[in-house]
Amino acid sequence: MTRRHLLHSASAGFGSLALSGLLGLEQARAAAADPLAVRAPHFPARAKRVIFLFMHGGPSQVDTFDYKPLLKRDHGKPLPFARPKVVSSETFNLLQSPWAFKQYGQSGAWVSDLFPELSKCVDDICFVKSMYGSNSRHGGALLELHTGSDTFIRPAMGSWITYGLGTENSNMPGFLTICPTQSHGGANNFGSAFLPAPYAGTAIGSVGIPARDARIPFISNTETPRPIQRKEIDYSQKLNRQQLALTGPDRALEGRIESFELAFRMQAEAPELQDLGHESEATKKLYGLDNPITEDFGRQCLMARRFSEKGVRFVQVSHTYKWDQHERLKRDHAQNAAEVDVPIAGLLRDLKSRGLLEDTLVLWGGEFGRTPTAQGSDGRDHNPEAFTMWMAGGGVKPGLSYGATDDYGYYSVENKVHFHDLHATILHLLGLDHLKLTYRYAGRDFRLTDVHGHVVKGILA
Amino acid sequence: MFRWCLFALTLSLLSSPLVGQSAEDGPAFFEKNIRPLFIAQCLGCHSATSQPIMGGLRLDTREHTLKGGSRGPSVVPGNPTDSLLLKVVRHTAGPLKMPPGPKMKDADAALLAQWIEMGAPWGNAAVSAAPAAAKKYWAFVPPASAPVPATKNTAWPRSPIDRFVLAALEAKGLSPAPPADKRTLLRRATYDLTGLPPTPEQVQAFLADQSPDAYAKVVDRLLASPRYGERWARHWLDVARYADSNGLDENLVYKNAFRYRDYVIAAFNKDKPYNQFLTEQLAGDLLPPAPDLATTFERWTATGFLSLGAKMLAEDDPMKMQMDIVDEQLDTTARAFLGLTVGCARCHDHKFDPISHADYYSLAGIFKSSKTMENFKVVAKWHEYVLAPKEDRDRLAAHEANVEAKRKEIANLTKDENNRLANLGRRQLGAYLRAAAHLQRDSQIQIAPLETAPSAITRAAGSFDRGNIPPTLEKGKANTPPKSTGPYFAEYTIQVRAAGQYQIDILDLERGAGTADLHVNGVWAKRGLPPVQNRAASPETGGWSYLAIVPLKAGANTIRLEHASRFPYFAQLLIARHTLPQTPLTSVQIAARYNVHPGFLEQLVEYFDRSAAAPASVLYAWEIQGTGAPLSAWVSPAAKLFPTVPPNPDALAARYETLFQQSLEPNLTDPGLKALHEFLHEKFGPFRAPADARRFFAPTLQARLKLLDAELKSLEAATPVFPRAMGVREGDQIDDLAIHLRGSHWNLGPKVPRRFLKVLSGDSPPAIGPTESGRLQLAQWLTAPGHPLTSRVMVNRLWRWHFGRGIVPSVDNFGRLGEKPSNQPLLDWLALRFVEQGWSLKAMHREMMLSATYQMSSDFNAQAAEADPENVLLWRMPRRRLEAEAIRDAIIATAGALSADHPGGSMLTYKDREYVANTAKGSNVDYDRPIRSIYVPLLRSSLYEVFQAFDLPDPASSNGDRDSTVVAPQALFMMNSSVMLKNSRRLAEYLLSRQDLDDTARIRLAYERALSRPPTPGEIDQAQTFIAQIQPDWANDPVKAWQSFAKSLLSANEFIYLN
Repeated sequence: MTRRHLLHSASAGFGSLALSGLLGLEQARAAAADPLAVRAPHFPARAKRVIFLFMHGGPSQVDTFDYKPLLKRDHGKPLPFARPKVVSSETFNLLQSPWAFKQYGQSGAWVSDLFPELSKCVDDICFVKSMYGSNSRHGGALLELHTGSDTFIRPAMGSWITYGLGTENSNMPGFLTICPTQSHGGANNFGSAFLPAPYAGTAIGSVGIPARDARIPFISNTETPRPIQRKEIDYSQKLNRQQLALTGPDRALEGRIESFELAFRMQAEAPELQDLGHESEATKKLYGLDNPITEDFGRQCLMARRFSEKGVRFVQVSHTYKWDQHERLKRDHAQNAAEVDVPIAGLLRDLKSRGLLEDTLVLWGGEFGRTPTAQGSDGRDHNPEAFTMWMAGGGVKPGLSYGATDDYGYYSVENKVHFHDLHATILHLLGLDHLKLTYRYAGRDFRLTDVHGHVVKGILA
Repeated sequence: MFRWCLFALTLSLLSSPLVGQSAEDGPAFFEKNIRPLFIAQCLGCHSATSQPIMGGLRLDTREHTLKGGSRGPSVVPGNPTDSLLLKVVRHTAGPLKMPPGPKMKDADAALLAQWIEMGAPWGNAAVSAAPAAAKKYWAFVPPASAPVPATKNTAWPRSPIDRFVLAALEAKGLSPAPPADKRTLLRRATYDLTGLPPTPEQVQAFLADQSPDAYAKVVDRLLASPRYGERWARHWLDVARYADSNGLDENLVYKNAFRYRDYVIAAFNKDKPYNQFLTEQLAGDLLPPAPDLATTFERWTATGFLSLGAKMLAEDDPMKMQMDIVDEQLDTTARAFLGLTVGCARCHDHKFDPISHADYYSLAGIFKSSKTMENFKVVAKWHEYVLAPKEDRDRLAAHEANVEAKRKEIANLTKDENNRLANLGRRQLGAYLRAAAHLQRDSQIQIAPLETAPSAITRAAGSFDRGNIPPTLEKGKANTPPKSTGPYFAEYTIQVRAAGQYQIDILDLERGAGTADLHVNGVWAKRGLPPVQNRAASPETGGWSYLAIVPLKAGANTIRLEHASRFPYFAQLLIARHTLPQTPLTSVQIAARYNVHPGFLEQLVEYFDRSAAAPASVLYAWEIQGTGAPLSAWVSPAAKLFPTVPPNPDALAARYETLFQQSLEPNLTDPGLKALHEFLHEKFGPFRAPADARRFFAPTLQARLKLLDAELKSLEAATPVFPRAMGVREGDQIDDLAIHLRGSHWNLGPKVPRRFLKVLSGDSPPAIGPTESGRLQLAQWLTAPGHPLTSRVMVNRLWRWHFGRGIVPSVDNFGRLGEKPSNQPLLDWLALRFVEQGWSLKAMHREMMLSATYQMSSDFNAQAAEADPENVLLWRMPRRRLEAEAIRDAIIATAGALSADHPGGSMLTYKDREYVANTAKGSNVDYDRPIRSIYVPLLRSSLYEVFQAFDLPDPASSNGDRDSTVVAPQALFMMNSSVMLKNSRRLAEYLLSRQDLDDTARIRLAYERALSRPPTPGEIDQAQTFIAQIQPDWANDPVKAWQSFAKSLLSANEFIYLN
């Protein structure tokens, strides 16, 4: 019996299968088969969990964190070197940033005026300025960012991580994604593909649904009061146990009995975790819940902290498809930044004050960057050749700017970091060797990093 | 057993090179230990006769072994640590691990190490490979008829299947489980063939039928039912990775995919021979002409198989897109029909199966020479067949050409007029510069909205005097009349006593939705704004805004708000006397004053905003006026045109105008003038056509364009509509493909002819002519009776769907990394039988279901479980969980609500190629509609949660196997889903409506419907007690109490697990 068989035939619920000791052997098997039981990493981990703040659309590196003085000097001039072989749209001459950049903190990190609050947190942040990918379209780039492949449907990084480590909260899924996008690969960006279903990301709401209304599918019904539902389940479980006595040992039947108990507990726990009512006014303010502009994203960030705190392994928060400024860069990038600046800074501060930043890896970024050249009169095109992502906490060097782009920020040139390298590094921080975290499917051992990926040693604390 | 393990361990330690020197001489050691090991574990892929020679490595001569393959020497004589061969078998060489499958035994690896240590001596014969080892891999050898084995127990077997199964059981000392009882058998067979529970009446009829062929008659009845096709087509749709939307990157609706689905259902119901079924799916369009149109359309529709995959439709590299689509087709075809993973060979030789890089591109050439797509643009368009007679198709093509011509006419007129306007503007730079300066100055002046002001006039939005919008402009209500087109307007007549300047403010109910144009007394005063991008999740808070300052005359004035498409929500207008010292003008007002084009003017100001006096700007001299910036910093070639700069703005503007006019002359040589010329003609410069270019056209032209628009619209509306089907046809270009080195089309190797997998091709594969893609020949090759894989793969699939596990458990992978058959003689017997019976699926169902094996009970047997815990040898019928579709259908059927109707086409209300589920509302599919699940659309990357929770495989790729996990979301579905709540209520209401029954009989009926059996007296007791106890909790509502009972019963394990 291979591990795969166990997983495929009779995986358990969201947590450990506490079978009532029907048969010693069966119990041991079931425990081995529990896909979400906590598993030891390959080596000591620096991070236990991840919060990914996804900026869908492609924030512009040269307008946010990658300061390019020459872009200002040479505004309006043609790009002095060749463009990539494949581009998404035609772009024109160099376009300077509408925002001023300043240096902040002890580390002197450059941040544009778009992020006044976040700029105060730079000493906790590790900027990777030399990111690059291989796909110039949203769909391909999103899939590459989330799954490592822009050609096939592959498990999402959150799925791989949950597969590698299990989950610490048996009443919750190990991989949650709050208000995820439905476009550009949609659920493929949080699906488990060929990994067993328990590793798929569970969506709470979806894009366009206000965070306050976002729910896990089937988490409740309005018709059945909780005590009655308990009685219904008790009756059903009685039938199940009677049947089990007749059938003899059967992992699936036993597992299903337990799954109802798990579901019942989860039904209580999930809404509790989503309920921000118990948070103090100060905390709500910290995340910008008091301001209609920041309320929605702030709510997502605060939920993410609550989930992380309770042991959910991978939480993704999505600032929906807004960062795609082919035009109206000035107006819309400003609006986007205003929506996320306070909540993200609040999240970092909150995690830090609770001691969670230590072993929580926060990742920020989009699916690609934008061209330093102008598209139309006030826009920038997609640019997978160079962009900035940043990380904080969980074993990365704080206050570091890693890697560099060329004079105008078009190409990554120094210490280049591909998505595959990012994935290898995230796994490494979690104590997982990206070469060893494999799953056999269709006659091949698959990895998140496929046949690529190097751990970016330079950013490890 | 335990002792033997210890012994083996000791032995391997002893034979390791660390323990003493070998006394044997080299060649003898090689012959005794190494040659057998090579033959058994390596030479299949690493000898002169391997096809291909994997990694270029041969281990059949010493010379080749030392030389190694693409990764360099495999053996360094005398140095085991540095020998790649040893690292690879010990799994210490990174990802490269050999041999495929289980790791080489430590003892064998130790022998290898010792041999290398000895200097890698060779044996007597120079070459002694296993001849044609690759071809001997079991799955590549055609099935041969073997004698049906004799068994000790001769009473049990009913068919050859049973004798194969029993022989394997007896070899392990096991015996089959006793036969299942009649109720269990009927429930099993009915779910198995139709995906639905038997009705209580069917159970009674079967129990009453004591004839020896009662069960055979049931199987025949079920096979003849239309429900059979609906069940078994679903199995094939998993293999065909069927879905109703693209879902990879751009989730466009495959509105016509359902025709392929219906084709499959019909094929199963009419028992279309599998060889024909296969051929139609790969090459239906290439078969000899059919006698009737219906057959032709059916065949075209079948090729939807190749077209239904998930595609990257937005890929900036069209060649990559095309090759990705080819890859998807190739991989699906190979998995579905051959049970092989061919996709690996896209970048290099297959690591484990004898499929070479060249093989891949030979096959890929076939698909590349076929037409799946109309184009490879972003977003690309897939091909669809028009299912209409030729005359109609011609008529359609002619009509589409007309539409295109009309479109072109409009585009040309628009382009000409834009050019005319731009050329006019380019000659008036002086006016533009002065107007831009004015606009820049005025936009610095901040005017606050007044909100209230003494003697201000306010008008409620809905109080307009003339207009074509509904008078209730409220957020959340329709703000434009239904079925109308813009422009929309509202006009307010405003009486003022004194002529003068007035300020107009507006109270918006939302922000970011765009604003309307403002006209005062027929004079355009302000341009509306476009809506904010992606405002779905942006907070919308309204408030007062300042619009403009406009001159009003004494008496009646007309204020008009106009918007081309959607009328923004607002609450009030406010008009008040303008009393401030400054009177800023809007861009429209300024443009009128300087007689320039407002669009170009705004774009010029935009240019200045961006440039912020960039030294490379040709207008640097203009931009730095009054700033004190040095003229010497100007780096544009235009600088040379200004040896001196006129001192005042008007003079400078005039100078610029003269120069810009000169730059419009032909044959420029001066670099400065060239720079000016470039500026005027920049693609994204100030004189580009604005987004709303048309509004600036002369009224007569606008009227003409409007007329043409209407004509185009009615022409489009008159496009004849015919049914369409996704499908593939012969390509416009038929050609062999070059090998793509490392899978990249930027890096091409030699061309390879279109053909099939070499290792399986046999002696005379069908030849592909130069003008044919080769799809038909591919199908002919696959369906040749002696093909080693086609029949085996399909009978194995059927076995999997009947018994829950394939004879080859990896149903989609018969290659070396797949699993071995648990009973190859049985598999081969079935494969031969399948072909012999004319590839009839129904005949194979009968073979399998009438066997004693299928009719066993699923009773537990501790002893057998100990020997064969996974029930691989089938000592009992495995207990199986129903699949997602069957669970949903069973719940609805048990409630008595399942409709047998076909929904008639696609259930999707989207249009073809429309985007799915990009909105907060998710999808627009009514998943609770009580029709069979196979008719419920499958939207890729937006799958129905219920299907997802119960292990529907991701339709991203072909999949003949399904998991049956047990996870909490499934329990949540049972507890909270609308499917469960609605149908448990229906069941409760039905039970209570049966006035002829008492409660005991009602409980009995519920059990018979849900579980196909009567309850025991104890169970009746329990149910009655439960209902009685829960009724007070529901305020004595009997329906609710019975619903609780129904819900619990449908949630029970017995409902979704088949014995």
